[in-house]
Amino acid sequence: MTVIKLTTQAYCKMLLHAAKYPHCAVNGLLVAENQKRKDGQPVLCVDCVPLFHGTLALAPMMEIALTLIDTWCKENKYVIAGYYQANERIKETRPNQFAEKVAARIAENFSEAALIMVDNSKISMSCYDPAISVFEHHDNKWKCRDASIDCCEDWSEAQKIMSALLEDRSYDSLIDFDNHLDDLRNDWTNPEINKSILHLC
Amino acid sequence: MASVSDMYDVTWEEMRDKLRKWREENYRNSEQIVEVGEELIQEHASKLGDDIWIIYEQVMIAALDCSRDDLATTCLHELQKQFQGSHRVKRLAGMRLEALERYDEALKMYNDILQDDSTNTAARKRKIAILKAQGKSTEAIRELNEYLEQFVGDQEAWHELAELYINEHDYAKAAFSLEELMMTNPHNHLYCEQYAEVKYTQGGIENLELSRKYFAQALKLNNRNMRALFGLYLSASHIAASPKVSAKVKKDNVKYAAWAASQINRAYQLAGHGTKETKCSLKAVEEMLESMQIMPS
Repeated sequence: MTVIKLTTQAYCKMLLHAAKYPHCAVNGLLVAENQKRKDGQPVLCVDCVPLFHGTLALAPMMEIALTLIDTWCKENKYVIAGYYQANERIKETRPNQFAEKVAARIAENFSEAALIMVDNSKISMSCYDPAISVFEHHDNKWKCRDASIDCCEDWSEAQKIMSALLEDRSYDSLIDFDNHLDDLRNDWTNPEINKSILHLC
Repeated sequence: MASVSDMYDVTWEEMRDKLRKWREENYRNSEQIVEVGEELIQEHASKLGDDIWIIYEQVMIAALDCSRDDLATTCLHELQKQFQGSHRVKRLAGMRLEALERYDEALKMYNDILQDDSTNTAARKRKIAILKAQGKSTEAIRELNEYLEQFVGDQEAWHELAELYINEHDYAKAAFSLEELMMTNPHNHLYCEQYAEVKYTQGGIENLELSRKYFAQALKLNNRNMRALFGLYLSASHIAASPKVSAKVKKDNVKYAAWAASQINRAYQLAGHGTKETKCSLKAVEEMLESMQIMPS
């Protein structure tokens, strides 16, 4: 069974997205390097592309985003490997029908695709616990993976950097695809935030 | 910690004006409102005149958003002192209880208001908001529908209803709610565009054609609406690719899609100005459009 892990950059940008819009649902994609993996080697999601905030369950912009980011992936030798969603309500941690549909679509192209739900109640300044649940596709259903499995490549690094980013209010400058559609000059690859994270590593 | 006025080199009047802009345009940038508003209240209260009351209200609501119960309570007390017995202030007290998840007490406050004044829309809407916060979407939708039977002109409520339906994946009812909004706001390109998105999501040739028409309408109302442009491209492409349409319809939609594609490219080039990152974006868009192109058979 393949295990999905996240790099610090992927994990941090995902949570920054949720932190930027505390009153909205948010979603986005996770990308991994497109390479042959040995048996048992985990899928490493190296980056995250924040997509939308607010009303998520509409198809057209999601289709555009998937196609555009897929094209971008091909140029950078990446592949779309997962989908994340943070629900509007703090206590709601289960994926809805829309999340499952998008994740299934991604799985058509990448069989080990993961569906990640952000646990809003675990987001804090100290980042005590990883704030996500990973769902994997088995027998046509999305089942939650055992929480004891490490979801990050290096949790203590991710924890330290996430905390620093939250203190700095770096989420103010995070760009998602919605921001890009509002003004095309907004860059959804977030190069500045990538630099900050690298700096803090 | 440096003050807002020091950090950004602004005067208290500019801070007050910013707060007004955010109030009038209904922004929910609560962290900023708290930062600016708290300083304004603490340092410049005497200069604000009667503006201070509406600022207390604005800052209080933003404080609730940021879990700043200390600040929210301060603002609430000032308002309670000044406007004793006011329903508007009572609603704010209710909102504070909601923020503390003391929903039963909040409900009691709102019911008290409604007993006094059964037409108080604010209290009714807060009750629906509580249902939403508790995850009771079906009840929230039912109550909101009942509310709208009485208060048919409440735009905010129609939009809330549309979003509740979208979250429940009931696209047909969402479309109906948006139709109400478009009827009363024919010049609003955002409602048109969202309606088109809902129709597209519903699927089927008829809905696709409707969605294309409304994306086009949204573009007519605002030719810079990128979502409408992308939507037009997407819907026209799908119609052209469908085996169920006539040759003429196919040909027309290929034309629409080609026009939309050229406009999208143009928009990206205008935004690009040659920076490295946006060059990548432009290339990705060009390739995406090419990969999605439906060749006329």
